[in-house]
Amino acid sequence: MTTYQFFTTAWAWNSIVLILSALALIAYFFTFGRRGRPLYFAGAVGVFLLAFISPFSELANGYLFSAHMVQHILLVLIVPALFLLSLPQSFSLRSSLSYLSHPLVGWIAGVGAMWLWHAPTLCNAAATSRSISAIQTTSLLLMGSVFWWQVLAPREEQRLSPLAGIVYLFTACTACSVLGIILTFAPVSICPVYQHPVDRLGMLSTIRGQWGLTSDRDQQIGGLLMWVPMCAIYATAILAQLARWHSSAQPEQSNA
Amino acid sequence: MNGTTTIAEFRHAVLDPAKRAHYRLAWLSTVDHKRIAVLYMLTGLVFFVIGGVEALFMRLQLAIPNNHFLAPDTFNQLFTMHGTTMIFLVVMPVVFGFANYVLPLQIGARDMAFPRLNAFGFWCVPFGGILLHFSVLAGGAPAVGWFSYAPLSETPYSSSPGVDYWAVALFVLGIGSISFAINTIATVISLRGPGMTMRRLPLFTWINFVNAFIIILALPVLNGALAMILIDRQLQGHFFLPIGGGSPVLWQHIFWAFGHPEVYIMALPAFAIVSEIIPVFSRKPIFGYEFVAASSVAIAVLSLGVWGHHMFTVGMGRPLDVFFAISSMLIAIPTGVKVLNWTATMLGGRIRFDVPMLCCIAFLIQFLVAGLTGISHASVALDWQTKNSYFLVAHFHFVAVGAIVFAVLGGLQYWFPKMSGRMLSERLGKWTFWLMVIGFNMTFVIQHFLGLLGMPRRVYTYPDLPHWGWMNLLSTTGVFFMSAAALILVWNLAASFFRGKVAGDNPWDAWTLEWATTSPPPHENFVALPPIRSRRPLWDIANPDRPDPIVGESSAAVTLPDHNKIGILSFILSEAGFFATLILAYLYFYAHPQPGPNARGLDVPRTLIFSVCLFASSFTFWRSEVGLMKQRRGSMLGWLALTILLGGIFLVGQVNEYWKLFQTGVDLSTNMFSTTFFTLTGFHGLHVLMGLVALLIFLWMAWEGDLVSARFGSAFKSLGYFWHFVDVVWIFVLFTVYLLPLLR
Repeated sequence: MTTYQFFTTAWAWNSIVLILSALALIAYFFTFGRRGRPLYFAGAVGVFLLAFISPFSELANGYLFSAHMVQHILLVLIVPALFLLSLPQSFSLRSSLSYLSHPLVGWIAGVGAMWLWHAPTLCNAAATSRSISAIQTTSLLLMGSVFWWQVLAPREEQRLSPLAGIVYLFTACTACSVLGIILTFAPVSICPVYQHPVDRLGMLSTIRGQWGLTSDRDQQIGGLLMWVPMCAIYATAILAQLARWHSSAQPEQSNA
Repeated sequence: MNGTTTIAEFRHAVLDPAKRAHYRLAWLSTVDHKRIAVLYMLTGLVFFVIGGVEALFMRLQLAIPNNHFLAPDTFNQLFTMHGTTMIFLVVMPVVFGFANYVLPLQIGARDMAFPRLNAFGFWCVPFGGILLHFSVLAGGAPAVGWFSYAPLSETPYSSSPGVDYWAVALFVLGIGSISFAINTIATVISLRGPGMTMRRLPLFTWINFVNAFIIILALPVLNGALAMILIDRQLQGHFFLPIGGGSPVLWQHIFWAFGHPEVYIMALPAFAIVSEIIPVFSRKPIFGYEFVAASSVAIAVLSLGVWGHHMFTVGMGRPLDVFFAISSMLIAIPTGVKVLNWTATMLGGRIRFDVPMLCCIAFLIQFLVAGLTGISHASVALDWQTKNSYFLVAHFHFVAVGAIVFAVLGGLQYWFPKMSGRMLSERLGKWTFWLMVIGFNMTFVIQHFLGLLGMPRRVYTYPDLPHWGWMNLLSTTGVFFMSAAALILVWNLAASFFRGKVAGDNPWDAWTLEWATTSPPPHENFVALPPIRSRRPLWDIANPDRPDPIVGESSAAVTLPDHNKIGILSFILSEAGFFATLILAYLYFYAHPQPGPNARGLDVPRTLIFSVCLFASSFTFWRSEVGLMKQRRGSMLGWLALTILLGGIFLVGQVNEYWKLFQTGVDLSTNMFSTTFFTLTGFHGLHVLMGLVALLIFLWMAWEGDLVSARFGSAFKSLGYFWHFVDVVWIFVLFTVYLLPLLR
């Protein structure tokens, strides 16, 4: 299969993901109606769909570790962030779930989502078994939401103070960078499935030859994705915290 | 009342040499931040002269082609010493000196949070400097460059003890820098005067505060690398020697993981000085305070993850090259934002062209050039061509001299009146400035072209190729202008100190708090602080009819965090960086197994038992703290003793493990595994030992004295943080060293 053929045909339109997304959209409108910020929610659903029905998903599904990493980052950092931003100000966690709003829980969830699923056994299992992959997706979305809650919770008083938020984000960034560094420099495969993919689509020769992505390079790119662009996301969030700090408690915005 | 009289007396005493006599010895034992700051800067000045003379010799050697003025090895020693001296013994002490003097004054504090630690940090500088220079007497200075690349820096290739002195000296200097950074963080967080909220910090203070975080994150990485190279050289370890399975590229990674942030550790304080001077001399508040402040944070965060651009020529592979190229280019954004803010501040201002401002204008232009050549090095293909040429030498001297030294010159002219009570001579200052501008540009602009013509750096001489001769001669000529500038500067400092115009409290009509007190300030800094409602308290006083808008909430009655807690947490952060370096190095070599002893041979169950003791000691310490809180002396002492016992058992267990390994002939030099194993567990063991000593001291204090004092409680709590941290590190060590092999 050529690159062009691949990117035009490898869309998974018939997937269950579409139904789930539609259900999520309906549920969102029934729960929040106009009180929420539907654009953000649509964005979250859009990114989620991109991660699962676009050809990227096919690549992540056994071909390329780096594509899997892109999916991973989208699911932990982008989709949950957009989701939390879409919530109306009136939203609160149920009191039985209030332990989730402890900063330490959030931090461990965010960093754990990165580390846990890159233990070789789990990474392999998620790449080969559909059900484990579903569990992985769900857990990533949940853990990502718990992580971002500290920074993007709907109401100001539910969030960390800006300076504490910077510490929270910076330490999380460091912890993920360390994993990225390990993945980048590891001479052994972290996720052996990707070393010898089952060539379901006849794409392997294109990937290895035309794209030049050997399995070593692939893993290196995966590690670098976790190390550099992901840290750029955290760095952006840190700057947003600074902006929030400098704009807080100024007369015109004090009651916003 | 007596406040004013003491200040008048004090000023009189400082300005009158006869009454200053008794201060002479006091300078050696001082813990006053202002005197320590002056000591920092004087030390920096001494080493500046030494490093400058070294540079002069090198330029003389390079003045004409095929010169034999210096032997090749001497030249290598000179450029190593020049680089190391200028970075660690000139720029860092001087910018630390500025921060040490001005920062507590700007936030209305009486001193730094830990005055004794401050003195310790300073004395590390002369001690480290003497150690480094002692190598000259002990068989030759290091001749491996300030970056000390392995394997050249390893025993087989550098057998004289120069590199050992280099490494120990830098270790000492690193510890001093870290203690300064811890002090800065604790001071800014815990010692701000009433009304001085974090959002009202002057930019100088804010940027130095941010810089302190880079220091405590980056310097421990260097210390980790230095520990490894010393272990290689002294204990026959294998970290960076390919022949024993080590990796010279790993040295480069670790060194530049420190080395790139180090660039910003030197540059951010220069930005801080410039951000203070430009508004004052443009008679306008800074344009976009928030952007200058936030871009400093962005630079700090980015600087930690871009070191790879120093290694494009190593051959890291295309993926790494591409990612590091992109992330390196990103740094241009926050830096560009800053340049924009500074120029926009000048736009429409009533600019006073006094020496501090002239220096800042030269800084802006030269830093722009430095930044542009810097970005060019983020492009991998271009970097391959120019990295090892004089183009790069020109680039980093534009940063180090064109930007940093010029900012420092401006800062000296600006704050000297505050420090001495007398103005520096404007006339001599302008001579220094213009000679420096001419000399600096004459020396370094041409080096860009020399580099593009292909002249490699780090060579002691060169063949007589077209143009190379006159270009080098021109470059050398510039050095004499810079030397003249330096001589005039020293003369200006000395003459103005004794005979300069008396400055008064606020000679520049500036707006930050250091100008609200006398020049020089009394020992306690302030008699009373003015009200602080904005970022320019003195402007508000001078212009009550049009004050600055109030910034943020006035939190008059907040209690600031305990400085002991902030101090120990910062220390723990730096220690975390140190251990992270060691653990990552361990993992790096763990992934490349070698014949001989390995992690599978370790006795895991035994270690687990001893680990439980260590973990339990965290619990017992907590019980002891509870005992202290409830003022139950017996309970506190008992649990504390048990903590020490458990920690001791753990150490005995480790010694026993070492002993058994020694018995079977395994020591540090056996293979890569043993080198990394003993290094990692050994450093952890040292920390446990250090904690035990501290615990014993507290046990003794608790036994002897009363436990009521709040200071004891706060210090005890801080020790607790350290002790728990040591346990947490062991969780990571236990997992990586003992448990990871079981998962395979």
